[in-house]
Amino acid sequence: MKFPWSNSSTLEIERQVYLRRGTRIGLKVLEQAKRIILSVALLLFGFICQADLAEASDGTRQDYGEEKRKYTVGALAFADPDVVYQRWAPSLSRVSAQTGIELVLIPLRPDELVERVSKNALDFIIGNALITVALKKDYGVSHLLTLVPLKHANPEQAVGTALIARESLEINGLKDLKQRKLISSDPNAFGGFQIFAGELINRGINPFKDLKHLEFVGFPQDKLLDHIVKGSADVAILPSCVLESAIAQGRLEVGQLHVLLPQVHPGFECQTSGSLYPGYAFSKLGNTDHQIARQIVRSLLDIDELDTEAKLGRYRAWSVPVEDSQVFNLLKRLERWPFVTNWQRLVERAIPWALVIAVILLLGYFHHLRVKRLVIKRTQALSDEMTQHKNTQKALFEQQKQFYRAQRILLTGEMASGIAHEVNQPLAGIRYLAQGSIYRLGDNQSELRQALTKMLQQVDRAQNTVKRFRQFCQQPSVYEACDLKELIEDTLNLMQPDFNRIDLKPQLFLWPLTVNVDASLMQQVFVNLLRNALDAMETSPDPRLAIAISNDSANAIITFSDAGTGLSETALKRLFFPFETSKANGLGLGMVVCKRIVEEHGGTIQAFNNQTLTAADVIERDLNSHFPRFNMGLSIVLTLPLTETK
Amino acid sequence: MSRLYLVDDDQDVLDSLNWMLEGMGYKPETFLSADSFLAKVDLKQAGVAILDIQMPGIDGLELLRRIHQQESPLSVIMLTGHGTISMAVQAIQEGAMDFLEKPADGDKLLSLLKKASETTEDAFKRQQLKLSIIQRLALLTPREQEVMTYVLAGKLNKIIAAELNVAQRTVELHRQKVMQKMQVNNVAELAYLMAITKP
Repeated sequence: MKFPWSNSSTLEIERQVYLRRGTRIGLKVLEQAKRIILSVALLLFGFICQADLAEASDGTRQDYGEEKRKYTVGALAFADPDVVYQRWAPSLSRVSAQTGIELVLIPLRPDELVERVSKNALDFIIGNALITVALKKDYGVSHLLTLVPLKHANPEQAVGTALIARESLEINGLKDLKQRKLISSDPNAFGGFQIFAGELINRGINPFKDLKHLEFVGFPQDKLLDHIVKGSADVAILPSCVLESAIAQGRLEVGQLHVLLPQVHPGFECQTSGSLYPGYAFSKLGNTDHQIARQIVRSLLDIDELDTEAKLGRYRAWSVPVEDSQVFNLLKRLERWPFVTNWQRLVERAIPWALVIAVILLLGYFHHLRVKRLVIKRTQALSDEMTQHKNTQKALFEQQKQFYRAQRILLTGEMASGIAHEVNQPLAGIRYLAQGSIYRLGDNQSELRQALTKMLQQVDRAQNTVKRFRQFCQQPSVYEACDLKELIEDTLNLMQPDFNRIDLKPQLFLWPLTVNVDASLMQQVFVNLLRNALDAMETSPDPRLAIAISNDSANAIITFSDAGTGLSETALKRLFFPFETSKANGLGLGMVVCKRIVEEHGGTIQAFNNQTLTAADVIERDLNSHFPRFNMGLSIVLTLPLTETK
Repeated sequence: MSRLYLVDDDQDVLDSLNWMLEGMGYKPETFLSADSFLAKVDLKQAGVAILDIQMPGIDGLELLRRIHQQESPLSVIMLTGHGTISMAVQAIQEGAMDFLEKPADGDKLLSLLKKASETTEDAFKRQQLKLSIIQRLALLTPREQEVMTYVLAGKLNKIIAAELNVAQRTVELHRQKVMQKMQVNNVAELAYLMAITKP
């Protein structure tokens, strides 16, 4: 069962603790967060820096203590530090007054106490038997004095535990508690929980696993009694004498509540549900000066039962340390399972860390998201570009392939045509000679006439074969409206690598002009002309090339002018004849192909040596003044008929 | 018989064709290029030219064009290794008599040459006649030419006299002179001659 108010009251106490020290939880959280962030930042500067800083801060603290000549006494406090402070302060003031040693009393929660001891930040400790033994074992704390409680004469039997329930509830043994609703103030409370836990472990019961309905409701202890009275819990685990003092103060009536499994210890005035243990102890830390300790101990031993300090401290006197093997045993038993974590405190401590980690994680996550987004974006961009590049490449490749195919077909056709022509000439000669012979025969030479007639037939047959071969190799043209500028630019693109090779940027004088041509054939013409121009400039130190589109009323005129080697007059004359070439491994068909294609389009093609150009030449008449006039090389002028748009 | 000219850039083919035509009884003159043909041949004379189309420099079609431009009476037969329709049409438009694929069959060429001879003779004669008529016309005085115009228009002497405001006798004398100078016997002959001079 949950007690909403019980949690909040615990919180209340806690807050008071911090308020008294002038610190708010929130502030503390912030402060801790700051410190953590700082240390995280410092981590970046390296361990040496950090170590230096820690050393420096330690030094400061020690200097501080020396300067004030104060000795600190840490007092164990579970609940209200004020109460603890008021309990011990009078006794310590008396000691200070008697010995002249300035003492500072600091109420501390068990974990704070352990932390300070571990750092040697305390000189003396006032704590319960269990924590004293624990500190003795772990940090070499020296047990100086044991408190003699008020009501019991024996300091060894000062604290016990009492299971308090309503009068109507009775149990036969600790095992019966498993099904009951149990409440306790704090898992660190000695009389209120740890002694009881020791008893349970003794009987083989795990107090945390086996007790299903155990709940810690915090201080003050009287609150637990109220729970039982109200019936919101069955059994309260409390230190001995809480019930008795409540009855004595009249807050409870006799017979309302009772102690379960009561045990009576001789000389112990209250009922308990288990063994008794020694009470509070005064101890010194290992490095505290023994002279000071001696003075303080002497002064404390001086306190008498009748002194106000003893009354305010609710004790009879201080005595020499008692035998504490029983406490050792209890500690051993309890150490077999870990002390219950105070979740609230842990959470409170963890919050700044958690916040920092959360922030770092969040930042990390944002960074991750951003990087991921960038990666996706870049990848997308990259793949887009790659696709585009691929497409361009593919298109170019396709164009090139088509071009080469067309060229192959054209060349085959032209070769066939050239061969046909070359074969045709001797065949024509043979036929003429044979027929001439027939005409010379007399009437009585019929045998020869027959043979010669057959010869004519054979020649005709050979010629037919040649003709068919030529027709087979010829490609039908596909005419379509086509922009000359685009066509020339496409061709230049196609040949870009060749231009790059000799580091040539052609001067272009192009504008859109539509003609009706077979684009792939026309491209062949342009490629052939350009290639010839490039070849002519292969060794030229200053390669230059100009291309212009112009027109007269009936024709589009395309001019290619290069600053290459040009041609001799004879070569220029035979430029458009098959198998005429100046190139080592040329076939001599390029210009023939060009001429045939251009003429098939109803156009003309002419070549001029640039240095013999006169003002009367067509090239000079039709071009604008910006077109460069090279004094060497070759100019090719193409005309193509402009057709009216249909 | 009219002259026969052969033009082909291929010496062997040219010789072979020459040999065949000689076998037919012709005595052709051969030329290896259009330039040498133009240099040696008088285009004003009758003759038959057999031209190859594929030639370096001035090609067959270009040569045909020049012959045509000179209003030569030559008959031209074009020969080509691989002709296209557009080439053939172009050749015929430029005034070629025929367009044959190489090698031309001797018999076919023979009949074509006979026809070509006739054509060129006719053309030459017509040209000669035209020339003589022009020469005859040049002999006429302006008054005689005037009278001739009226006569050709079919007008009577007295009407011509009235229109020219001269005596009828004067017109008769002019008319007689015209007939004499134009070497005709009657008006019908005169009209025929004048019709020839008109293109």
